Parts: sequence; structure tokens; C-alpha cells
Amino acid sequence: MLMADASPTPATLHEIVRDIPSTDRCFEIEDLTIAYGDKTALSGLSLHVPRHRVTAFIGPSGCGKSTLLRAFNRLHDLNEDVARQGRIVLEGQEIHAPEVDVADLRRRVGMVFQTPNPFPMSIYENVAFGLRLQAALPKRRRDEVIEWALESAALWDEVKHRLHESALLLSGGQQQRLVIARTLAVQPEVVLLDEPASALDPISTLKIEELIRNLKSHLTLVLVTHNMQQAARVSDYTAFLEEGELIEYGATDTVFTNPRLARTENYITGRTD
Amino acid sequence: MRRSTSRRPWLAEGPWAWLAAGGVALSLLMVIALLVLLAGRGLAHFWPQDIEAVTLEDGAQFAGQVVREQGLPGEVDGRERLYRTGNRDLQGAQWRWVDVADIDTRATPEDLVIVERRRWGPFIGRVVALEGPETRWTVEDGDTLWQQLDERLNRVSQLRSERDVVRTQYLEPLAERLANGEKVADDEDELQALKARIVNLQEAMQRDRVVLESLEGQQLTLTLDALIDVTRPNAMSLPAKLSSWGHNVWRFLSEGPRDANTAGGIWPAIFGTIMMVLLMSVLVMPFGVLAAIYLNEIAPQGRLTRLVRIGVRNLAGVPSIVYGVFGLGVFVYGIGGTLDSLFFADELPSPTFGTGGLLWASLTLALLTLPVVIVATEEGLARIPDAQREGALALGATRSEALRRVVLPMAVPAMLTGLILAVARAAGEVAPLMLVGVTKLASQVPVDGTFPFIHLERKFMHLGYHIFDAGFHGGDVESAMPLVYATALLLVLVILVLNLTAIFLRHTIRTRHRVRTH
Amino acid sequence: MIDRYPPPAPVRRRFRDLRDRLFTLLVGACGIGVILAVLAIGVFLFVEVVPLFGGDTPASETQATTEIDFESLWLPQQYPDYETPRYRWQANVLSEDDTPMFSLTPLAWGTLKAAAYALLFAIPLALGAAIHSACFMSRRLRHRLKPALELMEALPGVVIGFVAGLVLAPYVERHLVGALALVLILPLGLLVAGVVHSCLPATLARALSLSRAGLWLIPWLALLVALAMVMSPYLEVVWFGGDMRAWLEQQLGLDYAMRNAMIVGLAMGFAIIPTIYALAEEALSGVPDSLSEGAQALGASRWQTLWNVILPAASPGIFSAVMIGAGRAVGETMIVLMATGNTALMTLSPLDGMRSMAANIAIELPEAAAGGTHYRVLLLCAFLLFVFTFCVNTLAEIVRGRLSHRYRRLGGLA
Repeated sequence: MLMADASPTPATLHEIVRDIPSTDRCFEIEDLTIAYGDKTALSGLSLHVPRHRVTAFIGPSGCGKSTLLRAFNRLHDLNEDVARQGRIVLEGQEIHAPEVDVADLRRRVGMVFQTPNPFPMSIYENVAFGLRLQAALPKRRRDEVIEWALESAALWDEVKHRLHESALLLSGGQQQRLVIARTLAVQPEVVLLDEPASALDPISTLKIEELIRNLKSHLTLVLVTHNMQQAARVSDYTAFLEEGELIEYGATDTVFTNPRLARTENYITGRTD
Repeated sequence: MRRSTSRRPWLAEGPWAWLAAGGVALSLLMVIALLVLLAGRGLAHFWPQDIEAVTLEDGAQFAGQVVREQGLPGEVDGRERLYRTGNRDLQGAQWRWVDVADIDTRATPEDLVIVERRRWGPFIGRVVALEGPETRWTVEDGDTLWQQLDERLNRVSQLRSERDVVRTQYLEPLAERLANGEKVADDEDELQALKARIVNLQEAMQRDRVVLESLEGQQLTLTLDALIDVTRPNAMSLPAKLSSWGHNVWRFLSEGPRDANTAGGIWPAIFGTIMMVLLMSVLVMPFGVLAAIYLNEIAPQGRLTRLVRIGVRNLAGVPSIVYGVFGLGVFVYGIGGTLDSLFFADELPSPTFGTGGLLWASLTLALLTLPVVIVATEEGLARIPDAQREGALALGATRSEALRRVVLPMAVPAMLTGLILAVARAAGEVAPLMLVGVTKLASQVPVDGTFPFIHLERKFMHLGYHIFDAGFHGGDVESAMPLVYATALLLVLVILVLNLTAIFLRHTIRTRHRVRTH
Repeated sequence: MIDRYPPPAPVRRRFRDLRDRLFTLLVGACGIGVILAVLAIGVFLFVEVVPLFGGDTPASETQATTEIDFESLWLPQQYPDYETPRYRWQANVLSEDDTPMFSLTPLAWGTLKAAAYALLFAIPLALGAAIHSACFMSRRLRHRLKPALELMEALPGVVIGFVAGLVLAPYVERHLVGALALVLILPLGLLVAGVVHSCLPATLARALSLSRAGLWLIPWLALLVALAMVMSPYLEVVWFGGDMRAWLEQQLGLDYAMRNAMIVGLAMGFAIIPTIYALAEEALSGVPDSLSEGAQALGASRWQTLWNVILPAASPGIFSAVMIGAGRAVGETMIVLMATGNTALMTLSPLDGMRSMAANIAIELPEAAAGGTHYRVLLLCAFLLFVFTFCVNTLAEIVRGRLSHRYRRLGGLA
């Protein structure tokens, strides 16, 4: 079971948080508690997500990392028996403030899901979907944006001759990149990735990882993953969660090579004793 | 599980397994038997059946078509045979039971004819002569007689349609104008001219006459406008019979009923059914879909919604007659009565909307089929993976945009399934209609050329009710039966096709979603 | 990030937000409205029935109102023309002096009797079919069979009623002995088929396997039925002296009505078989495989597994299937209307006719004056039908929900 070390105290967390200068913070989470009915998924969690970096959330199943991710774009609003306390601040603005338009928040904070979920439309229409909602662009401009989005998702060369075929005919890896392109097309500031490669084969996984590394030049990326190597390969910062609490958070190198707590080390190295 | 195939004890699975298998077999047998019965009897009626000239032991002769044969009650060997002999005006009845033992000879001479008449049902016997204004053809003239008869029958039917055109398109509108007091100087003269023209046409139709003789020796002279068709089934070749069969089927589908629903076609019933179902679809579809969207996508998924859902589902099991009662009480007496006293007060006490009619029937059936549409649509909505909704929302779509652009298009097949099932249910439902607007014989169809073209307050005919009425309320059940069979066959075919479409649609939805979700 | 296009203007955002609110409001209002309208049926019937018991009935001018209370509806009444109190339904009075008789007991009796005979016929067949297809049939065949029986459910009542009333009833009247003999002949024939099957050589036995028995037994059963019909007059001579109806009347004192409870049972049973079958089959095939595999691992035969494990586990589902079937039988109108003589008798005999509440409404309501006592009593019938079917269906639905919950807990697919 767990080693005898003490659970992390707020003091240690503040140390990590201080590592990220306040001007570079994209998300600031303070004392966030989320419960489904009478089951607490996250308790009193505080953490800052740096801008234009890749931040990975790792932890065992059910530790609350997906819950945390879905709190970033308020996807929990759909579920009536979710109770939330605490603050999430995006670029200086509390996202639960009444004047915040949820739809616009979700445009700014895009999300890619575990299993690819292209709409049952053509490839072109999938990418154009969000675009049409956000802006009434003339067709020429729209085509340009779609080409750019597909290029950014490294999909353009594979699909440029069959833009009007059904998106469901694409392979799993291509579908996931299409979903990323679709998300990029609405010009988000943040992209949340919920185990984006867990349903894909190794080659597609590598492509997605490369894509993530390329995107961080102008996007903030938050990645939830089960795969330690993946977190080590692509992320700049890593947060380890367990049972709804933040155990350890810091630069990826530090967390993987020199974890502060034995719990973290046990999880990373796969030791279960 | 291992089963040895080398040693199989008697009734290896026990007797009950075989009885259970019998349940499937017997159920299927009953369905097959029912469909075969309807198809066989329904289609055979249109086949030009041979006419037998029967000589009995005692020397008496008659002609007729064999209907069926059965054992004599209480006897093991005796059999009796039912003949359709026609000639109701001459013999008093057109059916004749004959003990098979009494029959001496049976023959099928080629000159026997069956004549469909406008009154008195069919005539079965021989054509003696055809009398024109100057000439007269008799049997000795051979084929010339039949050619002349055909030509002259065609002429009569042309004259008849001409007369109908004059009457409905010129005479009736003019008469109506006059009745309303909109008088123009020479209208009266024109009216007289039209009337005279119709009289002329009618006289022309009665120009030729045919002399018929029954096998019993009674003679009958009819003008050609009293005839509908003359056929000689015994002289027909197989292709001729086939074409005659097709022609009869077409006439059944396209003509109105005659002789108190015991002859003729069922076009008004088909039309009424279609009108009612169309109107019902227009009413049930938007409301059913909206209610389903509300229940599945918008309402908070709490205990109350669950209760409402169970309630709606259970309404599908409430007897249809209860809906009929509701329709009568609320639509006909309640809303219809109010409409009458507000807008049609000068027509009272004869009701306009305060009695059963097309609108109320459609509304009642729409209510009856609402649960079907709601349940099917909800099922379709629930089958759409949440990932699709979340995908749309994550792109910044509002809830209504996600619904309209992603969820609803995906649910269209389910909605169609619901609609088709609703239509199939409504087409076969009779009990509520008996309370809210169906009639055995509608003098006017609910659609015609006078404003407002669709008359929602009129009563209408319905296939299902036609079956009930012709089979149970007609005086001459024996002659109504073949038509009832044919009507029932048509109704069942329509419903089966609709249901098969729904089953097929539902199947494709299921497989499609299965593929997508891996 | 370089902006490829200007970010959405606040006006556009507000417009979309407004549209969303409007849409939600519209759908919500319509949805609630429709649901209320549908549920209003019960309320309407209740409101219309209440004045019947209110004491000061608003007397309509056209029809004399009769005193109606619980007693006069359900208990035997003393009517002028009869010596002893009895149940009578006679709503249409011929002369001024007669009082209409509104006893609902014979109607309720007729309704339940028709439903009971229908269930008597349908339950064995439907459950047998469900058991066979859930436990013995190959999956592919089952997927073919289901739509076939679904089509059976879609057959309109008026067609079934027509065939029952005008074709079957006269036919059975003439082949009564044969028809009754079928009750014995068919099960025996099935057992014979089973015995013959176990004597067949292995190749043929595999071709005619039990899993396909539902199909290859059809011609065999058809042959048996045909045989029984051909034999009918001979059997009648041998056993009943040539005329079974006379024999019934002399020996048992039973009258034979051509359109009787037997015919209704057959026709309405036919109509409710698919309903019961579908729900029972769902319950049986939903039983988690882990349960049956456990029993079979202990060496139980398929039938033993079924009887001792699957049936008990699925019994609530089967119960609810039968309940829903009963609800349908109670409310079915056209079949009872057409396949019975619609005489309000109160006998148990399968050879007598009856008059059911639903059929009674269909016959009498168009002629009943709106607002009068007769009208309201008929509405009371409708209300009773509504309440009965609604309760039965709700009960069945709850039982079914519990069951699928239990299956899910046991790890199967419900």
C-alpha cells in the first residue's frame, strides 16, 4: 500500500504554483471541489496551467483527472447532479461568472475526446461545423480556413482530394486528427485532450503526439493520459492526481526523474506494493 | 455445452421442449393461414370464373358459378355446393345450394354470359339479340354480335362521361349561381339548354337494347345504359382472363361501391383512409417529435420525467376505444359544438363541426398515435452517443444548435420509423373512428372543387370500417364477402408494407450506430 | 495564434444565445403542452363521470335521468319484469314506461371472460414460442422470427375480427368436433414429432434439428389440422351420434352460439400472442449467461436449466408480459364486436357469447345523447377501461424496470 510519507500539504503546492509567473498563467484553479451526487470527484484542488505549454494530468482511473478536464470548458453544466465549489480563472476571468457566455467559453477552450467523434457528415462539413456557427465567412475565406485547419492537424495531404466524402470512412487516427482540425478551425486558445490516443494504434499515436508538440507554439494544451511514456514524451508540466486530490505537480522532468513523494514514484514506475 | 450425438435418448430435451417449439410453429402457421386465406379469396374474386350450366336429376336447368362446396350437416358422405346464379330480379335470390347428389350433368358452354348491371346485381344466362335503332344482331351473327356489343357499350360509356362533364362542370355551377340570386340576363336560357342537352345524352344512351335469356327460359330486355360489363368467361383464353382479372382489380381500386356496398369498388374508402392518415401525420409528427425532444434533451432527467415517460409509454396501451370516447367528448361535442354555436349558428340544429368528421377523426388518431411517435423518437435520440452532443458543444455550439445540426439529423430515421408505425396503426384502427366520423357510405368525398376544397367537417369512408360494415351490416353477406376479403387484403398489404419499411429502417439505424461506436 | 478570421462579434454571440433560449422555451412549452394533452384523457373522463354520482345531476331535456349509484351499477337490481333481483344491461328503452337498466356487472363479466379465454389460448402458445426462441433457436433464426411476429402484431383488429366472425365461426360450427379434437391432437402430434425425431438417422436429425423445429413443424401441424377437419364428421358420428350440438344440449345443457367465447379467445389470443411473446422473449433472453452456464456446467440439460434457473429468474418479466397482454385483451374492441353475438350474458361457458365494455361503447355511444345518463355511464365504462389498462401497464412497466435492473447487477445484458 502507500508508503508512510505524509500527504502533500498546501505549502508544497504553493511552492509549485509559484514556479509559474503570474503573467504566464492560462488557467488558475483555486480550491476546486466537484461532486457527482454524493460522490466527491475532486476535493480542494488548486493548480495553475502555464500558457503555450503542454500540461499532462496523470493518475489512476477514477482519480478525477477527466473530471478536472471537463471543468475547464464547463461541460459539466450538462449534468444536473454535479455540484461545484471553488474558482477556475481563464486569462484573468472567472469562467463561472454570469456574464460569461458558455458557448463562447467552449469555443475558446476546445476539447478532443477519448474516442474520435466526427459528425456523420463530410470531412469538409465537419471542419466547417464550428466555423459556420462562429462567423459568416464568404466561401473562399472559409475554404482557406478549412485548409489551414486540416494542415495544422497534419491531415490535409491525406484528405484534400476527398473533402466531400463521409468522415466516418476515415481511419481511427485520421478521425482523431479530423476532430483536432475541427477544434482548431474555431481558433481556440486552449485545447483539452482527454486521452486522445488511447483508442489508436501506435503509429497514429505517434502522429498525434507530434501534432501536440507542434501546436504548443501558439496554443495551451492540457492532456489527460494513462500512458506514462506519452506524458514524458510530450508534456512540459505534469500533475499527478489520486483520489480527487493533487499529489504532485511540476516540470515533467522533475516529476518523472525525481518525484518528491513516494506515491508518485510508485505510480510512475508501476509499483503497486 | 457437450452433447453426444451417438446416443440420443427418446425426446432428448424432454417433452416440453417439443411443445414449446410447437408454440412457434402454430403461431406462424396461423399467420400464414390468415394471409393465404386473405390473398387467395381476395384475389380469386376478380378472376373471371367459368359459368356452369347445370342439369339436375329432375331435368331442371340453371346456370351459375361455383362458390364453394361443403359437407351436409349431420351426414358423413353428403355434400352440397353453392352456386352464384345471379338473376335476383328473375329468381328472387342470387344464391342456390344444390345437393351434389342431385346434379345430373355439368357443362360450360361458351355462349353463357355474366352481365354486370347497375341494378339487381349480375345476370347469368345467354344473349339472345342486340337491337340497334335499325338493325338487329342475333346469336347467329357470331362474332359480329360481340363486336357490336363492345362498340356500343363503349359508346354508352363515352356518352355517360360526357353527360357527367356537362352536369358537374356547367349545369351545377350555373344552378348554384342562380340559387344565390346572381342573375345574368341569359342564364335561364342557358340552364334550359344544358338541361335539354343532358336529356338528349340520356336518350342517346338508351338507344340500343340487348335481349337476354336465362337458362330457365325467362327473357329480359335491357337498354345498354343499364349494363356495366358483359363477359363470356367460358369463351375466354388464359391471357384474356388474365387481362380481365387485371381490369377487375383496377376497377375495384378505382370505382365507388354499388348495391349497398356489396358490389363495385372501394375508391372512396381508400381515398378517405389516405386523407385521414395524411392529416393525422401532419398533426402527430411535429408534436410527437417536440415532446420527445423535450423529454429526452431538455427536461431535467429526474424522477418526474421518468414518471411522465412511463405515463406516455403506457398511453400506447390504453384501448383505442377510450381515445374514441375522448375524441367524441372533447373534439366533437366540446370544440365542435362550440365552433358550431360561434360560426355556424344559422345552420343549427343540424351540426357542421359538432358531429363526427375528417378533422376530428384525424385529431383523435393523432392523439392515439402520439405515444408511438414519442417512444420511437425518444429511442432514436437515446441511441445517439453523447459524444456527438459533446463534440458539438465543445466546438462552441449552443444547445439548440447542437440539437438542430447534429442530433436531430441523426434521429431522422427514428422519427420516420415512428411515423410509419403510427400510420400503420392509424390505418388499421377502426373502433375510435366509429365514434368520431367514419360513415358507411359517403355521398361526398372530403375533397372537391368547391371552396375551401378540403372539407374537414365531412364524414368519410374508411377501409377498416368498410370491412366491418360490409361484412356485418350488409343484407347480402354472401355477395359482400369477396369484396370484404379483397378490402381486408388491401388493408393488410398496406399495413404490412408500412411495417416492413419501419422494421427495415430501424434495423439500419441499429447497425449504423453499432458500426460507429465500434 | 495568428487570427485567420476575426473572433465572433458580441452581437452575434448574444443573438445566438437568445435564439437558444427561445428554442428551448418553445420546445419546452410544446413538449409539456403535448404531454399534458395526452395525459388529459384520464382527467376528461373523470370529470365527465363525476356528475353521475353527484346527486343533483343536471337533467338533460331529452332524456330522463335515472338514479345511478354504486349499488345500481354493480349489484343485482329488482326490475319490474323480473321476479328476483338480477343483473341487466338494457340501455335503450322502447317505450316511455320502461326504465333503462344500467348494470355494469354483465359488461365487466363479458370483458373479463373474453380476456380470460384469450389469455387461455395465448399464454401457452406465446410462452412456448418465447421459450423456444430464447433457449433453443439459433440467433439468426430468432432475428428473422421477431419481425415476422411483429407483423402479426400489426394485423388490424378489424381484419382478425372479420375472419373470426365470418369465416372461422361458421367453419368451427360445422367442424366443432374436429376443432375440439385439435386441443388433444396438436400436443400429441408434437410429442410424436419429438419421438420420431429421436429415431431419425443422424444426418436427417441434424437437418431437422430442434433449433429449427419452429419451421419444419409447420407443415406437420398443418397436416394434423387438415386431418382433424376431414375426420370431424366421422368423429361426430362415432362419438356424438352425428350431431354434437344436439348432444351438447341434451347431455350438458349447453347452447351453442355460433359466435362464442371460444372463437373470441382464438381470435383475440391470436392478436395478443405477439405482445406476450415479444416481452417474454426479451425477459428470457435477458437472463445473464453466467446463470445458465453455471447450471449447465453442473450437467443439467437445456430444459432443466430453463426450468430451474432461467424461468424463475425471468418470471417477473413473464408476469409483466402476461399483464400487458391482458391489458390489450381487455381493451380490444373490434375483435369482440365482430366475433361475439354481443349479448350481455353472464355465463362461463365457452360456447356462449358475451358483450364487452369496449364493444358496448362502440355500439351504443354514437346513439347516446350527450350529457345524459346513458352517455355518462358509457363514459364511466371508458374511464374504467382507462384506469384498468393504465394501472396494469404501469405495474408491468415497474416490474420490468426492476427486472432489467437486476439483470444488469447480475452482469448480463438486459
